[in-house]
Amino acid sequence: MALPVLICDDSSFARKQMKRALPDGWDVEVTFAGNGLEGVEAIRQGKGEVVFLDLTMPEMDGYGVLEAIRKEDLPAMVIVVSGDIQPDAQERVKKLGAMAFVKKPIDKTKAAQILTEFGILSDV
Amino acid sequence: MLVDLTEDQRDCYQEITNVAMGQAADRLARLLNVYVILPIPKVNMISASELHMALAGANTSDDVSAVCQGFIGSGIAGEALLVFNDASFADLAQLMKYKGPLDRHGELELLMDVSSVLIGACLHGIGEQLELHFNQGHPVVLGQHCHVDDLVKSGNHQWSQTLAIEIHYEIENLNINCDLLLLFTEDSVAKINQQVDYLLD
Repeated sequence: MALPVLICDDSSFARKQMKRALPDGWDVEVTFAGNGLEGVEAIRQGKGEVVFLDLTMPEMDGYGVLEAIRKEDLPAMVIVVSGDIQPDAQERVKKLGAMAFVKKPIDKTKAAQILTEFGILSDV
Repeated sequence: MLVDLTEDQRDCYQEITNVAMGQAADRLARLLNVYVILPIPKVNMISASELHMALAGANTSDDVSAVCQGFIGSGIAGEALLVFNDASFADLAQLMKYKGPLDRHGELELLMDVSSVLIGACLHGIGEQLELHFNQGHPVVLGQHCHVDDLVKSGNHQWSQTLAIEIHYEIENLNINCDLLLLFTEDSVAKINQQVDYLLD
């Protein structure tokens, strides 16, 4: 069965860039969310077992999404993909339960590396 | 004729700027050991008369000090304008462990240090993503302890409209804030839009 992957970013360009960075031939069902609220809703519906999450977003930001996931104990592995790469931001998201932190702009190499590192991607 | 950006182009500029300002903020955060608050940047085609509004919207009626620095490369030219709220200098001096007296010279030194970090990193970040290389000119002080109105008056605008990227930086828990405005020349707009369209393709 295809793995439900959620891409949550307010920029449509960033969402496209993220989708393009996913490994070729990876069996996934991709859902897009334009802000944190939409993102949390999609995760509740089981559309985000793996989540690529932006931090700076309107309505609800990435920190808010991580808090909601923790509070509701939602089953999601979150990889934060952010332009805000300050040490504090990286620390904050790790504390909130994010699995990994990747610097924007994302590309195929970085995406494959992180997915392999956490055993999400084994043999494509 | 006024041309405007498409929604996709604006979104792309915002995202690219977001990444670039994040890199600049990271440099500043590591230098000063602080957290820089990053809002969503504003990207617009503006006319010369709207430049005043962009600046006035960026900063309040407080006294400001400003630096500008030209950049050029790959057929694109423009100016980076950094406007600092004068109230920021006391906290900034403390953060940067500035020992001398905080007079006009002292403030100037701080202003130059911060602007070289922010302008340099931001231009580099934007250039990198658009596969452009910008060379930077020498920074020029536009004014110290003046009003935003005076800054705009001192400029001699030969253009009718231009691409403007506005970035507001604020340091968490401190009274430090500044605005970085990137203005591209009218002739550069077509070329830089082309690079953006290439990314959107």
